[in-house]
Amino acid sequence: MSWFTFRFPDFAFSFLSILFEGIPFLLLGSVISGVIDAFLPAEWLTRFLPKRSGIAIVLGALMGAIFPMCECGSVVVIRRFIRKGLPISCAVAYMLGAPIVSPIVALSTFAAFRGQSPLVMTSLRLIFGFCLAVMVGFLVRFIPYEKLLQRGVIESMPDRRRGLRFAAEGGEHEPPMVGERKFTQKCFAVVQAASSDFLDVAFFFVIGAALAATFNTAVNQQVILPLAASPMLSILSMMLLAFVLALCSSTDAFIAASFVAFPFAAKLAFLVFGPLFDVKLFFLYGLIFRRWFVFGLLVGLFVLVALVCDRIAVLGL
Amino acid sequence: MSKVFSRWLPCVTLGTWSAILLYFVGTGRIASFLHPSFRPGVLLAGCFMLLLAAMFAFVPRVTSCCEAESCGHPLGRMTLGRVLTFLILLLPLGTAAMFSPTNFGAVTMRNRGVAMDASAMPGGASKQGREQAGAAEEYLAKTEDGNVKAAVIDLLYAAQDPSLRQDFENKTVELIGQFMPDNVSNASGNRFKLVRMFMTCCAADARPVAVLIEGDSKASGEEMSWIKVVGLVTFPVESGRPLAIVKARSVTQTDPPEETMLY
Repeated sequence: MSWFTFRFPDFAFSFLSILFEGIPFLLLGSVISGVIDAFLPAEWLTRFLPKRSGIAIVLGALMGAIFPMCECGSVVVIRRFIRKGLPISCAVAYMLGAPIVSPIVALSTFAAFRGQSPLVMTSLRLIFGFCLAVMVGFLVRFIPYEKLLQRGVIESMPDRRRGLRFAAEGGEHEPPMVGERKFTQKCFAVVQAASSDFLDVAFFFVIGAALAATFNTAVNQQVILPLAASPMLSILSMMLLAFVLALCSSTDAFIAASFVAFPFAAKLAFLVFGPLFDVKLFFLYGLIFRRWFVFGLLVGLFVLVALVCDRIAVLGL
Repeated sequence: MSKVFSRWLPCVTLGTWSAILLYFVGTGRIASFLHPSFRPGVLLAGCFMLLLAAMFAFVPRVTSCCEAESCGHPLGRMTLGRVLTFLILLLPLGTAAMFSPTNFGAVTMRNRGVAMDASAMPGGASKQGREQAGAAEEYLAKTEDGNVKAAVIDLLYAAQDPSLRQDFENKTVELIGQFMPDNVSNASGNRFKLVRMFMTCCAADARPVAVLIEGDSKASGEEMSWIKVVGLVTFPVESGRPLAIVKARSVTQTDPPEETMLY
């Protein structure tokens, strides 16, 4: 049997199902982003954010535990936070941490791995995901934002030299101070911001969903089964699978658990790498970050997750 | 021209997306695409997008700044990129919605690998039925003919669980699924697979699951056609593990069930 057989009806069926599953979450993220835009004064961020940036990054990575958000939604939310003046390192820590460090993900992973060391798998997934989010957050601190962010994002940011307070004063394209507007005006602003964000992100989501649907239907997934015998190859193949399948982090554990032939460490790699970086996120991240950073993040996370999971495999888990 | 991009194209795009979502929910076709727990989200998203489309249409935005290079409004300027954006937002979804079937073909099922063993199925969901179930009489529904109404997945799970095996073994069951020839454990040529898709969240993650059906004569039929099988459940040990095999008494063509996916 050929490894690649494309049939349009099957592709369309899979493509639509990914869109139908993801659109409500994308829209939710866009609405939250709109609410942040219209109702959250920028000075609140300065007031509530810890003064020490290290603690702020750690808190950012943990925020998913309080405000769970899937990976598609979190990208929209952090773009708005960056525009509001949140330090990029904190925003990145939230963006990477939220899809994994979340009660929904913990519960689904525990349920999916019943009979396959559920507590160990859930704990390792959450801890590993959290550590990676914090680590990337700290790294981002040392990169100038002009080199990191897309031009459009930089233009919409408050003046970095004058700090977050500038955001509250409103730039050329900033709406009037959020506190001064009437409630109905704010609601209109939420809807306008949400729809713009949604259309922006949906574009990349459609492309990612199309690629994932192609792999889902056209590629013979049996071709990766022989790789399960080698620890490193099994880890790499499961990570590649996570990248191309682009599953939602709240449900991917059920798919990972079904790969019974693959060792524990390979499934962990699938569950940690997938929510941090997949084919649709590749396009979504490109909406905020410059291409070199997106590629760097992809390679860095891929290598790091593979190496750590290989060490875990050596430990005999 | 900026008005087209900042007002009418977003309005048309959101309206089209909303119409497609609400159409699939309204006609019930959404059942083939999503697990029941995700369906209300599609309805809400469809309604909300309709609201957004209406707002774009009836509440004009301030677009005086949008011709400027420095404009921060995301949908402001007319560029080739924007045209492409709206084409990508509209064309693939519209085309897929027009031509999408409500089930996968045989090629995709084979590409995903047909699971005939409960351990190869997506985790927890398969166990839910068993955990919710009490005594066999309570959870085994019967047809008018007195046969046990079973799903493919019930028999796969029973093959792995001795207590469930007792509930089904040597009982006559009625199963609905799709016909697929079996080329693996079919030396006599009288076996075929009865396949259903088992969904965790959406059709993209659905995995085909199957039980073997054994008849008196050589198995034949149109691949992927929906059939109803009535037969006796057995669990012979093959390749070192109990395998669910239904000895067919009758195999008849049938309409697809209301819910083509198993959950």
